[in-house]
Parts: sequence; structure tokens; C-alpha cells
Amino acid sequence: MKDLEVPKIHTIKKTDKETLEKWFRLMSIGRAIDDKAPNYLKQAIGWSYHAPYAGHDGIQLAVGQVFEKKKDHMFMYYRDMLTALSAGLTAEELILNGISKATDLSSGGRHMSNHFAKPEWNIHNFSSLTGNHTLHAVGAARAIKYYGEKAVSFSNQGESSVSEGFVYEAYNGADKEELPVVFVIQDNGYGISVPKKDQTAQRKVANNFTGFKNTRIIHCNGKDVFDSMNAMIEAKRFAMEESKPVIVQANCVRIHSHSNSDDHLLYRSESERNYVEKYDPLAKFKRLLLRYERFTEEELQGIEEEVKLVIKTAHRAALKAPNPDPESIYDFVLPEPYPAEKYPEGVHNEEGEKIKLITALNETLKAEFRRNPDTFMWGQDMANKDKGGIFNVSKGLQQEFGPKRIFNAPIAEDFIVGTANGMSRYDEKIRIVIEGAEFADYFWPAMEQYVECSHDYWRSNGQFTPNVTIRLASGGYIGGGLYHSQTIEGSLVSIPGVRIVYPSFADDAAGLLRTAIRSKGPTMFMEPKSLYQSPKAATVVPDDFEVPFGKARIRKEGKDLTVLTYGNATHLSLEAAEKLEQEGYSVEVIDLRSLVPLDEETILKSVKKTNKVLVAHEDKVFGGYGGELSALITEKAFEYLDAPVKRVGSTYTPVGFNVILERAILPDMKRIYDAAKDLMSY
Amino acid sequence: MSKKTAIIYSFHTQKSKKVSEKIIDAWGKEGIEAVNAEELSKEVLEKYDYFILSAPTWFDGELPNYWDEFVPDLEEMDLKGKKFAIFGLGDQKGYSENFCDAIGILAEIIEECGGSLVGSTSVEGYTFESSKAQRGNVFVGLLVDQENQARMTAGRVKNWVEQLKQEFS
Repeated sequence: MKDLEVPKIHTIKKTDKETLEKWFRLMSIGRAIDDKAPNYLKQAIGWSYHAPYAGHDGIQLAVGQVFEKKKDHMFMYYRDMLTALSAGLTAEELILNGISKATDLSSGGRHMSNHFAKPEWNIHNFSSLTGNHTLHAVGAARAIKYYGEKAVSFSNQGESSVSEGFVYEAYNGADKEELPVVFVIQDNGYGISVPKKDQTAQRKVANNFTGFKNTRIIHCNGKDVFDSMNAMIEAKRFAMEESKPVIVQANCVRIHSHSNSDDHLLYRSESERNYVEKYDPLAKFKRLLLRYERFTEEELQGIEEEVKLVIKTAHRAALKAPNPDPESIYDFVLPEPYPAEKYPEGVHNEEGEKIKLITALNETLKAEFRRNPDTFMWGQDMANKDKGGIFNVSKGLQQEFGPKRIFNAPIAEDFIVGTANGMSRYDEKIRIVIEGAEFADYFWPAMEQYVECSHDYWRSNGQFTPNVTIRLASGGYIGGGLYHSQTIEGSLVSIPGVRIVYPSFADDAAGLLRTAIRSKGPTMFMEPKSLYQSPKAATVVPDDFEVPFGKARIRKEGKDLTVLTYGNATHLSLEAAEKLEQEGYSVEVIDLRSLVPLDEETILKSVKKTNKVLVAHEDKVFGGYGGELSALITEKAFEYLDAPVKRVGSTYTPVGFNVILERAILPDMKRIYDAAKDLMSY
Repeated sequence: MSKKTAIIYSFHTQKSKKVSEKIIDAWGKEGIEAVNAEELSKEVLEKYDYFILSAPTWFDGELPNYWDEFVPDLEEMDLKGKKFAIFGLGDQKGYSENFCDAIGILAEIIEECGGSLVGSTSVEGYTFESSKAQRGNVFVGLLVDQENQARMTAGRVKNWVEQLKQEFS
């Protein structure tokens, strides 16, 4: 986009005295805390992570000043202390975060220091993963646009983080969707010790994005209060009035080391350090105030004296604040789910016509989207005429609900997940369903945003949880080879903070999907894609069916052996059980349905009855979810076991493409039968 | 009354100061007064008719703070009848995207205030991506690159000073 003029609204001569005084006070308070932070560490009080902002003063003041609380959305980064203060946080609130007190607004001491937030004002809790909140800012901006609010989403980051692929995804997505988001790049020339030249060839990193059609780029001097204010006022005006993104590159200096664990003496010369110190933005602002006789020396000294008192009072109050309670660690891992009161056990006796698993998913999505107007769904291949999702799960949804609620996403999995997280920050009534990737195999690029989703509720001390259902077409048995056969629950269950469900029948798929969409918090909804059209997975599905989380379903009762299974393996297990039945053995098949949370009660009850357990799943035996099940039983029901817990799963290899290879790798009915038979001999 | 000439540079710099002193030597100490850029005021500027200004480029294309902080005053001045020649240090390799931008920034402000610019030089002999000091095939002043072309500085300064003597008359 063409370089447009930035109006000079603020200058040292034009800006009113009251405003100048407010700025000077904020900058002085901020700097006093920035300078004082290392002392807390020296005295072993806290603030063990501190990324000093000195040198970024102009732009941080400006971002905070243009932010309107409860209306705009703010996504800061770990160097944004003055931004937080300028946006309205108090000195005491900054120190509470610095020394990780229970009353810290950001996280109650759970998250790292120097990660300021006030979710109540839309100053969001953010990750330490540099730049990943650009995706959240884009998601929030999508909601701002959808709901027609006159507001802007702000996202701050250092210039090095622009090297991250997800930052490109955020910029590209915002440009494509023409969203009111302002990305502020605070350029101090270093990513810890790595100079800008080692990040990208272009020193003005924002210019790497000049080709974007709808994005305006504004360069400003982030060390200069007036230039920064003018740039940010114009950026906000443009983003809001034109509904287009703006990238502001603010030239800053880093006067100190990256953080207290870095020593810039090891890589910066004395002359460079002197050079950057010479352009101390606060000192410059003060010189200007005096030079142009806007304030006398005495007036400024008076403000500085007041600031000392503010800091002293804030310090004392923060020290008295309570520390977090170790008993609280299990609070806010996951929010309470939708209660599913109509079907508390997640079973039904409905009779009638059976529908396929894919139909059950499609109809449930439609029903839920009709019920709740604040529902949205996107993914790759989501909607183009008669195509609806790579497997047509979402067929007809865009036609019924429109392209603003059901739409295609770029091939950028992290963007798909990250913007869902961001959009759900706008209002807790919003429910989002995403196809996390075309296949579970392609979900890996989104893992960092998956981790964010898993952290948010805990990290924000219960203040925010992304209300997102992530659908993933999973597993093999379709001759898909290495990249169309993966089932990734083994990796996902090790990350607390997300519910993980894996239905194997149409009714359970419908019931779990309904519960997931109605619940607060993230749910990973894994769909065994080989069963979409399979008659064996087809069932009768009550229109209002609900399946609560953490409720396994006994698909076949028995007394000689318990088979714990889910997904594709449920059907293989049922077939094996049938065969064993014919040979006189009574086998109980438990479809777990929900991996997190897990129905321990049903499992242990069955083990105590049968005394023998076989775990059968599609995933690899080594490192698979079955290891947890086996350990659980050994720990909690060892005395009831008459045989070792056996596991059947795929081999510890990728899945081969040629069907001969696939058959050799994935578990089948015979392997489950053999293992069960083996257990029967104990 | 004879016209008065000043060379304005920061007395606290290293490299810019050295080049400024070379210019003074080439000019002849009698005919030029050195003024510390860090102590600038409207009054000081009003005293002279011809100016040689030192404007090294800081960071990614900024004026040094001593110039930047004077700009609010400078912008209000009527510089009609005064002539300005600007030189500045820059690094065409390290900062190729904004090589000696400060010269161009200052030149623009001076022109907006009615001052006339002299001392333009050819872009030949430099390799860079972009510069606010460039207008067509000339620079609006003298670009000095002590990082990459230090050996050429003496010759460049000598020629420039000779040119200025003509243009200041």
C-alpha cells in the first residue's frame, strides 16, 4: 500500500500541558519500576524474569494511550511494561505481576513475571512464545469486524519475532480478511543477542510486507513520544475507519540487556551502548519539555518527587499482598463442561433409522449452529459450493449459515487454531468449531497454538478459556500412507488443559460434538475418518443426544476379559469379541469415547469383575495412550488382576502406503483376538 | 556588510567532528565559525548567512537527537536568503536502505522554511539501496562514508569545499 501522510497532531509546541504532564508522569513511573525491577531479584523477592523496556518509551506510551479499555483489544509482549501502565494498569498492579503475587491481575503468580495483563479490560494474558499472539489479535479483530464494533485489536512484538512463520500467517490472514488490527513492531535491533541482520535481509522488517494489498505500513521513531503518538493515532484511525490492518514499525533502542539472564556486555561494544543511551527517550522528552519552556525544572522535579511516592506506596502494598496457595494448582485446568443432563450416562434406547457417522456430525453441526447464532466454523476446504470439508462433514453449512459464519481458512493450521483462540476472547458467548487441519497428520504446525489453548484457562487463573472445538479427521485404514493415517492422541494427552474425545459410533459422535460445542473450554474432537461412511459405525441418533465427557460406554458386556478401546479399534474389538463369544468366552468391550477426562470408575469396575484387561487402540503401542491405561490399572487394581495387562496397537513405525504395509502395521481383528486368547489362557 | 559563514556540528562526536575539522581546514579558519549543534537556537542561526551543517544519520534513518530536538524551532524560522550546505556520515553497506537519510530529512525542512540548498554532489561512486538525500542523480549534500570509503573522504571534502566557495558567493 502506498505511503500515506501521518498527520502531526502532537508536537512539543502544540500538545496541551495537561497531556504532556500525564505522559511525563507515566513515563517516569514506568521507568522507575523498570529500573527498580532488578532489585527485587537481588533481594530474592521475585521478578526473576524482567525484560527492560528502556528505549521503547515513546511507542509504548503511545500504544497505551490510544487503547480504549473494554472496547479495543490489546495483546502485549513481555517487554511492554510502559504499554501496560499507559493503558491504565497501576504501579501496584505492575509490581504484583513482577513479584508473582496471588492478586496479580494477569495470572495470580502462575505466569512468568513481566507478562502484564488485565483481561477484564481486554488487555489479554499472553504467551512467552514470541509473536504468537499476533494470531490471537487477528482472531479478536475478526470478531470486532463481525459484530460491527468500532474498535481495534492491537498486537505488540519485537522485530525478531517477525521471523516466525505464524507471524506471517497472522499478517496474511488480517490482510486477506481486511481486519482492524494494528501490529506494532518494536524494533530495537536485537533478538536477545542476535542482531537484526541475522533475522532477515531487510533492516526495516515491516517492508518485507509491502506487497500485501490491504495492509498499511507506518514507520515511526519509537523513541520519540510525539512521532509515536502521531503514528499510533493514525494507525488506529485507519484500521478502524478503513477496516484494514496496519503494521507500525517503531524504531527503538534497547538500552539494557535483553533480560536479567542476558549480559549485553558480552556482545555490544562500549561505543554502541553509549550510542543507544544517548537516545534515552525519557531524557529526550524531558529535554524537550524544558527547552521549549513547557515546564520549568522545578515543575518536573515536583512530578518526579510525586512519582517516588507512588512507587514507594505501590511497593509497600504489593509486598503485603498474599502469595499463591500451592493447594490451588489444580484450579482452572479445565472449566466445568456443559452438564449433558438429558443423557447423564451418554446412552439412549432410541429406535428407528440408523444414520452414518458423517451424517450424525453434519446434522449435529447444523442443529447447534441453528440453536446458537454466535457459532462459527472454519478450516481448509470448508466451504466451496457443494464441497463442505475435505470429507464433506460440513456440507450445506455455508449455504445455510452464510460465509461470515462458515468459511474457508488459508492453508495455515496455526492460523486456524490461533485465530479461533483470539476470536473467542471477544465474548464468552462465542462458540467456535474448527477443522484443525485437513488430516490429523497436518495438525503439527498448529501445535504451538494448541498448547496456547491448553494453557489459557490455567495461565489466566480462570479468567479466560478458548471456547473452541477442534475437529480432526484421524487415523488410518484408508490406504493413506504416512501423511493420511496418523492418529495423534498419544502426543496430545500429555498436554493438560484440553478435553480429548474419540468416538467410534454415529450416536456418540453426535452426542460428544453437541456437548463439546456447548461447553466452555477447548475440546479436541477426533474423528475416525475411515468410519465416516461405514455401515458398522451407523446408529440411531436421538435428535437431542448428549454425551457427557468422561463417560465410557460399555458396548458389549462380558465377564472373562475387559477390552479397553476407542476409535477404529472399537469395531475391531467388537468383532474379536464376537468370535471369542462363539468359542465360549465372555468379553466386555468398553468404548472409552473420552480420553481426557477418563472414566476411571467404569474401567476399574470392569477390571474388578473380569480380572483381565486388554487395551486395543490404533495408535502405536510404544508411547501410545494404552500405556497410561495399563499403568492406571496396575496402580489401582493390581490385586484384581489374574494376568498382565496386554496392549495391542500399531507397530513403532510410520504407516506405509502400500496396503500390504498398512496391514502389517495397523492392528486388526486377528491381533486383538490373538492377544485376548492369550490372556484367556492365564 | 560581509556575509558570515558557520559550520554547525556536534562537538561531542568523534567521526563527524573529525570531518568537520577537515572542512574547516580546507575552508580556512578565518572565514568560518564553528558552532556546537548541541547548543543551537534560533538566535544562533539568525546570526549567519551561509551554513555548513553536519547531519550524521542515526539508527535506521534518523536525525541525531541534537538536530531532532531543534526541529520544532527550526520549522518556525524564516530562512529566506540563507544558504545551506549539508554533509553527513553514513554507512552505505550496513544501512543501505537509509544511507545518509538525515541529510535528506534536514534538507527538506530547510527548504520548507525558505532556505536554499547548495553543495549537491554526484551519486556516482556510492553503492546503496535508497537514500532520502538522493534527488535524481545527485545528492542534496556531501555523503561521507567513513565505514567503507574512508580513503575517499579527504578528496571528497576538498572538492566539496571548493564547490561551496563558489556556491556561497
